[in-house]
Amino acid sequence: MSTTGATPKNEITRDDPMIAAEWALGLLEGEELLAARGKAATDPDFAWRKQWWDNWFAPLTDAMPGAEPGAQVWDGIAARIAAQQPAIGAADDASPPTNVIALEARVRRWQWVAGLASAAAAALALFAFAPGRSPVEAPAPIAAAAPMPKPLVATVPIGETGLRLDVTYIPESEQMLVAAIGLTADGVHDHELWLVPADGGALQSLGVVVPGEVRSMALPAAATAKLGDGASLVLTREPIGGKPAGANAGPVVAKGAFTRV
Amino acid sequence: MAARPRPTADEAREALREAMARLAAGDQSALEDIYRATRVKLFGITLRILGDQKEAEDALQDVYVNLWQRADRYDPTRASPIAWLAAFARNRAIDRLRTGKVRGGAVPVEEAAPLADESPLADMLLVDAEQAAQIHKCLGALDARTQGHIRAAFFEGHTYAELADAADVPLGTMKSWIRRGLQRLRACLEASEAA
Repeated sequence: MSTTGATPKNEITRDDPMIAAEWALGLLEGEELLAARGKAATDPDFAWRKQWWDNWFAPLTDAMPGAEPGAQVWDGIAARIAAQQPAIGAADDASPPTNVIALEARVRRWQWVAGLASAAAAALALFAFAPGRSPVEAPAPIAAAAPMPKPLVATVPIGETGLRLDVTYIPESEQMLVAAIGLTADGVHDHELWLVPADGGALQSLGVVVPGEVRSMALPAAATAKLGDGASLVLTREPIGGKPAGANAGPVVAKGAFTRV
Repeated sequence: MAARPRPTADEAREALREAMARLAAGDQSALEDIYRATRVKLFGITLRILGDQKEAEDALQDVYVNLWQRADRYDPTRASPIAWLAAFARNRAIDRLRTGKVRGGAVPVEEAAPLADESPLADMLLVDAEQAAQIHKCLGALDARTQGHIRAAFFEGHTYAELADAADVPLGTMKSWIRRGLQRLRACLEASEAA
């Protein structure tokens, strides 16, 4: 078994199962790691293979000596979970409209400021609705005295259809405004939005998108912590109700990245 | 965290399986049961990868908070709960390592190789023995050098570049060694599944 010499003559094919193995071992970093994550969100075979390797490697952890964490770890877990309870509840009951209105008002306010500063097209696009939808009133000029937190905006074009998602996140709000413009419900599928953190963390579901409406979505703290410049979004097509437990995510129909306005 | 009589390994596994199912069904109290049963093993993992008590505890918190948020991600038809949780914890620790905040890899590569003699804490839940035997058999069939590098990657969370540096070989050489090893490993594991 000493034939694995310095210069490989028969080069190994780096196929998907190989990349999944490298990922499972933790060898990947940077762009390659991001690419693998993105692929796993969209390619069930690849995600399956990653889990296959994870599962085979798992017994090796038995050789890692166990250790007792500090008692404050559980307290921290309990506190973080308690803190997220209201947010999760809001996400579940289709978000109260008052919430949306309040957020839209905030968005309008910064949008006016941002418009003055940079005429950011992505931000303005939030208010351009498909024909037939009740348009949101044009932003009223409001003198912004206090500096607003800079919002993050992502536009997620859906193929060549002219349909798109406009996603706005105002830092510290733990709420995200999602406008699914031109997207219509087909009665068979829902679309689920996923956060791909810039730091290479695990993909996080941001929930199911409601077609043709502006909705506020509550964000779990774990997701807001990952939001930032360069964080990207993917939209997948799922059965009604979103990705079923245990199933792989459906096909990606759109991608976009956050930028700070 | 009340003290309770030590269950047998099988009972512990079954209790964990049941707690995971309860968590997926939305029962929050299940999380504490899962934590009680798995914290020692999972903290051992994050501590090993991150080499820093504080970082490892933060990673451990992330693991359980994440688990609570997305309990539905666990698929009982694919993996045992403890195998899945172990992989999950290691993946989170590696993620943390790759964000660059942590020095990581507290243990030098040379010490990484055979760890089989180290005895885990008595109340640590272990991954299925049959599955363990197979991966050890397949790893053991690789040449010692390749096996050592694959183990170093797994146990210390080293990247290709770090392994190449440590072994003082070009990056491409290290990649070839490991990829060839992984290819053999896959063939061996798949053969065992087919059998």
